[in-house]
Order: sequence, then C-alpha cells, then structure tokens
Amino acid sequence: MNRRPTRSKGVNGTLTATTEEAPREADLAFDRLYRSSRDDVYAYVASLVRDQAAAEEVTATAFERAYRKRCRFDPGRGEPRAWLFGIARNAALDELRRRGRQAELVADPADLVSTPAYESAEASERRLALAAGLARLEPRERELIALKFFAGLANAEIAAVVGVSESNAGTKLHRAVTKLREACDGAL
Amino acid sequence: MEPFRDDNELIAELRALRPEPSQEFSAELDERAAAGFPRRSSRPDSPLTAPIARLRELSPRRLAFSGGAVALATIAIATVVVANGGSKSDPGGYLSPLRPSERPSALSHSEHRDGNQGAAEQSSGTQYEAEPPVVGATSAPSAGTAASQVDTGPYASKAGNRNVERSAEMVLGAEPADVASDAAAVFDAVHAVDGIVLSSSVRGGAEGEAGASFDLLIPSAKLSDALAAFSAIDTVVTRHEATDDITAPTVRTGEQLRDSRARIDGLLVQLAGADSDEERAAVEAELRAERRHAAALRSEAAKLGRRANLSRVSLRIETGAAATPADENGANWGIDDALGDAGHILAIAAAVTIVGLAIVGPLALIALLAWLANRARVRRGRERALA
Repeated sequence: MNRRPTRSKGVNGTLTATTEEAPREADLAFDRLYRSSRDDVYAYVASLVRDQAAAEEVTATAFERAYRKRCRFDPGRGEPRAWLFGIARNAALDELRRRGRQAELVADPADLVSTPAYESAEASERRLALAAGLARLEPRERELIALKFFAGLANAEIAAVVGVSESNAGTKLHRAVTKLREACDGAL
Repeated sequence: MEPFRDDNELIAELRALRPEPSQEFSAELDERAAAGFPRRSSRPDSPLTAPIARLRELSPRRLAFSGGAVALATIAIATVVVANGGSKSDPGGYLSPLRPSERPSALSHSEHRDGNQGAAEQSSGTQYEAEPPVVGATSAPSAGTAASQVDTGPYASKAGNRNVERSAEMVLGAEPADVASDAAAVFDAVHAVDGIVLSSSVRGGAEGEAGASFDLLIPSAKLSDALAAFSAIDTVVTRHEATDDITAPTVRTGEQLRDSRARIDGLLVQLAGADSDEERAAVEAELRAERRHAAALRSEAAKLGRRANLSRVSLRIETGAAATPADENGANWGIDDALGDAGHILAIAAAVTIVGLAIVGPLALIALLAWLANRARVRRGRERALA
C-alpha cells in the first residue's frame, strides 16, 4: 500500500514514429504508455473528481480518447505522459462540468482513502488529518499535489498539463505543500 | 499527536494516500486496452459515425495529404468539366486544338471591308443598290419604312437589332479527280442560298496542283446553311468565321441622311418662297450641294446595308498535303499550340480554384470561427469547473 509512485520509464519515445510505421509503432508506444500510466492516471483523476465510480469512468474515457488520438500525438510538443494527463484532465473537468449542470454530487474524500488495518491509531489519525487537509485545499492546489505526488509527474510535465511555465508550476506546488502542511499541523 | 517533522515526512505520507484503482477496474481496463479501447457509447451509430471516427484518428499529416488529394482531384474534375463545357459552347474550344476547322479566327477588317467595297462595285446596279436598306433600323425601330424594308428584304440578316457584318474562310481537301465535281457542287450550293459568285478559278492537274478558289457573297441570313453545304462537299481542312458589329456607323449614317433630307425639304420651301433671282440662285446652289451630300450618304448607307446583308466567303479546294486536315497528321500542331493549350488549361484550373475558394473560403472561415468559439467556451467551462 505504501508503494511509492514511480516515474514511468521507457515511454518517452514517440507515439507516432513515422507516418508509414504509424499504426504499429503508435500502438506499441501507446501500450507502453498505458501500462506505465494506468494507475497514475486513475490516482490523478480520482483526486480531481473525488468519486470512485466517476474516477473509473473518467479514467476509461481518458484512455479511450488518447487511444483514438494516438496518431495525432506530436512528440515535438511535449512528453507522452504530459499529453496523456492533459487528456485525462479535460475528461475529468468535463465530468465536473456535467456534475455542475446536473445534481451536485456529494463526494466523500474518505471513500478514496484506505487505511490499513494494521496501522496504529496515531498513524491512522495523521493520515485522516492529511486527507482532510487535502480536501480543504483549493481544487487547483489539490490538482498540483495529485499530479506531483499521486501521478509522479515532473514539474515540466505538470506545467504542460496545467498550462503554466515550469517555474510557475514549481512555485505553486511549493505553496500548495506549505498550505497543506499548515492545515495538517493545525489539525494535529 | 505530533505534527509532521518536515516536508519529506508529509510527502511520504501524502504518497501513501494515493488512490488506487480496484482490481476489477484494472482488469476491465486491461481488457479494453487489449481490445483497442472499443467505443462504449450507448448512442446509436449514425452512418457518419464510422467515417468521422476514422477521420479523427488520422494524424494531421495524413489528414493534410488526404485533404490536399481530395482538393486536387476536385479541381481536376471541375477543370475538365469546365473545359469541356467551354468547348461545346465555343466551337473553337481550346481543348480541341486539332480541330482548327471549328476555331473562329478574325479576319482582317480592312481586308474584309476592301473586299466588300469591291463586291459593291462589281454588283452595282443590282437590286441591293436600289434603296439604302438598313438606315435607322437599329436606333429607331419606329422609323417604319426603312426598318420594315430591312426586316422583310430578301437578305435581311440581322440578329436582333444589331447590324453585324459576317465573313468566312474555308478550305476543303479533295482528291484531284474530285475537284471539278466539288467545284460544281460549290456553285449549286451558292445558288441554293441565292448567293453570288464574285470570282472563281478551277485548276486541273496532279495532286497539289489541282484545286479551285471561289470568292462568294452569301446572304448573311443563310451563311450558316451555305457553310454547312460547303462542309458537306468534301473534307473540311480549315474553317474560319468572323463577325464585326457595324451598328454604330449604320445608325449614324441613317441619322445624317434624315437630317439631309429635312434640310432639302426646307430648302425646297425656301426656294418656293424666293422673291428674287439672286435669292433663288443661292438657294438652288445650296440645294444642289445638299442633294450631293444626301446622295453620298445614301451610297454609304447602301454599302453598310450590303455589308450587313451579304457575307463574304472565301472558299478554296486544295489537293495534296494542303488538303490534309491538321487533326489527321498533327503536323500543324506544335510546341506553341501545346504551350497555348497548357496555359489555357492552367488558367481554367486557376479560375476553378479561385471560384472554389470564393465558395469554400467563407464557409471554412465560419466553421473555423465556430470551432474556435466552441473551443474557447469549453475551455472556460473546464476552468470554471475546477475553480
């Protein structure tokens, strides 16, 4: 459970390769991207939509969209993971928009946080305090935390996903962590 | 309970909070990945769903290639259609360079007029000289007599209210043995349309030497019939036709003639009321001058009438190499013609492209603006959803 999210490896090759090789090479590259990013995408999406069923639906939609667009990926415009997370972000935000138009769903952040049975009461309490602090963050701050620590993206990739400069992404991330720590310290 | 010692401890704890997908979901997603992520849409597929999905899957480069190929094919097809349409409406269509017999070629106007003047001299005293037939017919439809004379005369030929002078040149190819019979057929055809043979020459001999030439006046109204009859006599090698609108000089001469007649009438009245011999002599002198002027105008009007009513046709019958139509041996079709035709085809293609852009451009611009507006709306909505 305490698995540290690892940065994906070996998916930095182009998804498209050349036009002639495109179908096969793109399929293989996409398969590698899928295998290395499946859980990361789910973690990121779940932290955005904060609902397990919706997170599964959005994750599946994101991969479906990415698969359809795999031949249109331009490696000159960024990393494949940043491209994939950009698609996942749009899918998640579309889901949030849909929710906004329909009935407001009440998501319970605790649903997404599992606490191992063997943990001590203190550790469990700290984790719940952290989850509560996370829930109190602004959605944009929570998104940065999720991209960095749940999905394991580098600052440059985060910048590409949210559409800011790399230094700006680092600054915002630092502020979010500081704010989260303050929130947790206050609770503990 | 102790707070976090440092950021590293917080981050480590944070990573432990990472949401993990359920095993069922992971397995299901893996299956879908293996199957190429089939669509899950519950909406019924329309006939356009599959093509649109295929288009969306194309890379931009392939899409550009496909779009370019479709555009080129469209331009090529439209060019062929337009060019063929043009060749039908225009007998001298540029896509039929090997059919010069159908291509109109303007004759020299000075040559033409000289010829007609000659014709007028040779045919002086015939019925065509009797009355200036077309004066005032165009600009003054109510001019009555003159107009009705033109429209009902034996050689009335005007298309609408215009006075048009027409001429033609034709070369027929024949075997030496057929020259005499072809020449006879030419005479018959001329007589059949009430035409006039101004001059003719028939030469016998071997191939290349034998031949005939005719200088003809054909009633303009029957020119097409006459040319069709000539074409049926033997192989048409070349056929050139030309037209010249002489409405303006005809109208001007008619107006001047009416003015002159009015002045003559006035002078006659003045003469009748003259009180002295000196006055009478002066009016008579003026009357003579005006009558000369009126005569000159009538002559000019008659010439113009003949030019409109009678078409000059130059017809030759050739034997030997000159009797071979260009489209049979291609000898007369060279680099210049090829370049000309290529230039013309390119011009048509450019015109088709411009017209196509004029039609498609605004539509594409509207579609682009709509797409950009929708994209901006969706982006704003997404950003608001996160706020």
